[in-house]
Amino acid sequence: MKIYVSGLYCGGNPQPGVGIVRSLREGYPDAQIVGVEYSTRVSGIHWEGLDELWLQRPWDELDLALYGNQVKAALDAGGLWISGSDLEAMWLGTLFPQGHPNLLAPPPAALKGIAKPAVEAHRGLPVSVPTFVSTDLPDWDLHAFCRQHNWRMWLKGPYYDAARVGSWDVFMAARAALTKVWSTDTLFLQAHVSGYEESVMFTAYQGELLSCVSMRKRDITPEGKTWAGDISEVDPEFEHPLRRIVRELNWTGGGEVEMVRDAAGKLWLLEVNPRFPAWVHGATIAGFNLPALLVQGATGARARHAEARASEFTRVVLEVPVRKDVPLPPLPEPFAGAVGHSMKHPSGLTSLAKRLHKAEEELLAIGGEPQAEEGGGKPDIPDVYLADIGAMDLAAMQTPQFLYFGQTAERLFRRAADKARRLSTNEVQVASGYSIKTNPDSRLIRLALDHGFYAEAISLLEVAAALKVGFRPDQVILNGPGKWWPEGMMPKERIHAVFCDSVADLERCVAAIDAGEMSSKHVGIRIRTPNVTSRFGIPLDSPETFAKLVDAVGRLPADSAFGVHFHMASSNIGVAGWWHLFESMMKWCRAIESLTGRTVELLDMGGGWFPDDWHADDESKFAKAVETVKAMLPGVRQIVSEPGKAMAQPSMALAMRILEIQEHEEGYVEAVVDASIAELPMHIFQPHRILRQCGETGALQPLGRGKTHLMGRLCMEHDIVASNVSLPEGTRAGDMLIFCDAGGYDRSMSYVFGRG
Amino acid sequence: MYLAEAETALAPGAEAPPERAPLPTDRWADFPHSRLSHHGEACCEIGRRWVTAMDFAQLNGSDLASGPRWLRERYKWGPSPWPMHWCEAVERKTIDCGAHAALAHEAFAARGMTSFPAQLVQSYSREATEQWRGKWSAEDVSCHWLDEEHIYHEATALLLGEDEIRIWDASAACWVNPRQEGGYGAVVAVRILADGSYGGGDGLRWGERRIKPGVWVQL
Repeated sequence: MKIYVSGLYCGGNPQPGVGIVRSLREGYPDAQIVGVEYSTRVSGIHWEGLDELWLQRPWDELDLALYGNQVKAALDAGGLWISGSDLEAMWLGTLFPQGHPNLLAPPPAALKGIAKPAVEAHRGLPVSVPTFVSTDLPDWDLHAFCRQHNWRMWLKGPYYDAARVGSWDVFMAARAALTKVWSTDTLFLQAHVSGYEESVMFTAYQGELLSCVSMRKRDITPEGKTWAGDISEVDPEFEHPLRRIVRELNWTGGGEVEMVRDAAGKLWLLEVNPRFPAWVHGATIAGFNLPALLVQGATGARARHAEARASEFTRVVLEVPVRKDVPLPPLPEPFAGAVGHSMKHPSGLTSLAKRLHKAEEELLAIGGEPQAEEGGGKPDIPDVYLADIGAMDLAAMQTPQFLYFGQTAERLFRRAADKARRLSTNEVQVASGYSIKTNPDSRLIRLALDHGFYAEAISLLEVAAALKVGFRPDQVILNGPGKWWPEGMMPKERIHAVFCDSVADLERCVAAIDAGEMSSKHVGIRIRTPNVTSRFGIPLDSPETFAKLVDAVGRLPADSAFGVHFHMASSNIGVAGWWHLFESMMKWCRAIESLTGRTVELLDMGGGWFPDDWHADDESKFAKAVETVKAMLPGVRQIVSEPGKAMAQPSMALAMRILEIQEHEEGYVEAVVDASIAELPMHIFQPHRILRQCGETGALQPLGRGKTHLMGRLCMEHDIVASNVSLPEGTRAGDMLIFCDAGGYDRSMSYVFGRG
Repeated sequence: MYLAEAETALAPGAEAPPERAPLPTDRWADFPHSRLSHHGEACCEIGRRWVTAMDFAQLNGSDLASGPRWLRERYKWGPSPWPMHWCEAVERKTIDCGAHAALAHEAFAARGMTSFPAQLVQSYSREATEQWRGKWSAEDVSCHWLDEEHIYHEATALLLGEDEIRIWDASAACWVNPRQEGGYGAVVAVRILADGSYGGGDGLRWGERRIKPGVWVQL
């Protein structure tokens, strides 16, 4: 009996080949086992259990047709083939579309059924698939998906590799890297599930499940790979549907269902692999020799019984002699000036991915329904934006220039005012506060005043700006660590609320009130978010600091109403994360009330809401929040919410013109524009919906995904205002681009640079 | 490790009844679980409120049945003197398993979850118990939790559903593995201090086992 086994890589993310060989050797001591590999850098080729080594050139060099014939000859001659590599198994599937009795790998249709991330074939298993989206969607939608899932996200390719994505800039970098390595821009974003990883390994021959076994990871490598585990029988509730699925897919070979069990005990499916897992021999140690059972199923030759030696296994590092006929290759020269030797994927798997992607695009497509429309990646542009732009004379406009969207802004403020009115009850008034720092444009401050907002200021200059537009002092809320700056500008009249950012700030505030230098209806504290890093507010990190806070609140003037403020950008921590924070803050407030005897009468909550989350979100969440406040803090009379950039961001856009278009190899384009990161400082934190105005017709066209980078005018290496966009056919120098959604911190934090 | 007065409940050199062989639990057969004391004043109430509010904050939106791992991050496991009040416990850098378990129990309760004190006897080695004996003695803290190759340990059993439990070892920041086959560190006996009849009288379900409340169950 001759058995070919591939996938002998034994690095930090090992392939199963060596484990398969060890298991086969136990089941069939006399079998002739041939190791198949594509690089002499793969250390598993030196494993002493191999009788023979069939060494191939790396995948990027291999003549696949010639090699395919050689594999076919080997199988026709009676050899069995167990693949330890996903991509090799896929390639073998294309080589034998109808299967081959000696090829112990799944057929192409089965591979399609397990394509990530939807894994269509999982239906019936007691598992759920974590939410995902294809990166074909517009960046605007991808950013929304990340916010909805608290930025606990994985960017995954259709074959291997996954990158943890915790922010927009990390996502963009990871997308660029995975696209380059795996030669596909079809990736997917999947929500992270916290829990313990477990797997079910199975093996089948021509649709008949031969055996399956369960493994829980008990120790992991820094990359999260199995280092130790425990083995047990598969629950019948899992085994029965697995048996049916294997039959439906006509599965042959090994396979692995990778899952996470969350804190509630629910199983989430990560992926189904078309091969045995690297821990395969751990199961053999526990008496479940699946590779041997596979060979037995395929040949009828009885395997030696596997003795269970333990129900748990672990790994060790072993040194083995190098085969005399395959000496170690030299270590590659490090790239000049770089660190390390760049030796990932020694067998050229990335190259195989590229070749397969070209030849069998459908096979390697991401599983699930297409999520982007034809011509993908183009964002929806709100009609009101187009109406605002349509009312402007763009032709005569100097660029770069911020465009004020008057109709858009008016609509947003009106909607916020209506929402506050609807949420208010007889007991609790709900109001909005306009955070002046998000955009101090007087037109926006005026809209805030006209729609019943409070003016939220972080400095006395901002207070002055609000008063200048027409706010009364009793419509002003003063916040932040710099509220006393500049000196001498504090209004003498009573303001609505002041929130102290530290115990020292509180003492200064109390002294100022005592001295008659300021007056406020509400005097309160800002509390620091204990689970999210922040530099603002009074900390709650320890019982000692909490005791100081309790003590300090006791010193607040008794003739002022007490208030509490907290703030954390929802766009940074995610929507669900913000609502958890809200609930957490209610508990802290209740504890403060109980310990100080002071009743919270004003609750001021921020903020940093992404416009879509604030305006489009189900209002029932806000209504529920009001009910929660009433239940937990019955003394609250007013809730002030700060929509922050939800008001300002959509209210302005940045117009710019293309200065030059440079075309490069493989369709890549660099277009230089007359704007820069000085006008778009938020470009690394959020995407912008971009319009191009056709130079001939004046029509506005949204930019989709492509291979164009928009380079700013500055001589700064990082001045790239947008990446991976496509310029419509006919775009040329002089055409105008409009970056929407630039009215928040893009506008207020823009700076003068490179203008002489 | 526990209330000083609890030491009177120890049965040093306890002999097994003539009809059976000695059990590792004999020494702690009637040993009570640890409880933090409360001064009845703000000092303790601030500590207690801080623990429960901080616990909810640290959940970060995760499932309420998640283990309060942050407690172990904040409080190292080690000797601590008893009796212990809330205000003392929360200000210490090091607390023992009884205090850890008491804090976890309070955290679960504040989340609205039902939990019970869990008493465990684990097997280790003479070398391990000697190490701990030295460490505890150096701090002038009672070593009554140590036997020669066994130790008494406290944890928190979290009730899920009707009768299923998971046992949170707050000192190790992990769930105790219900699949035990003996050996170093293995739980050899468990007692869950719960009231009521669970599982139709069969007891609480821990993994594949049933654990009758209130009695030592040898594993």
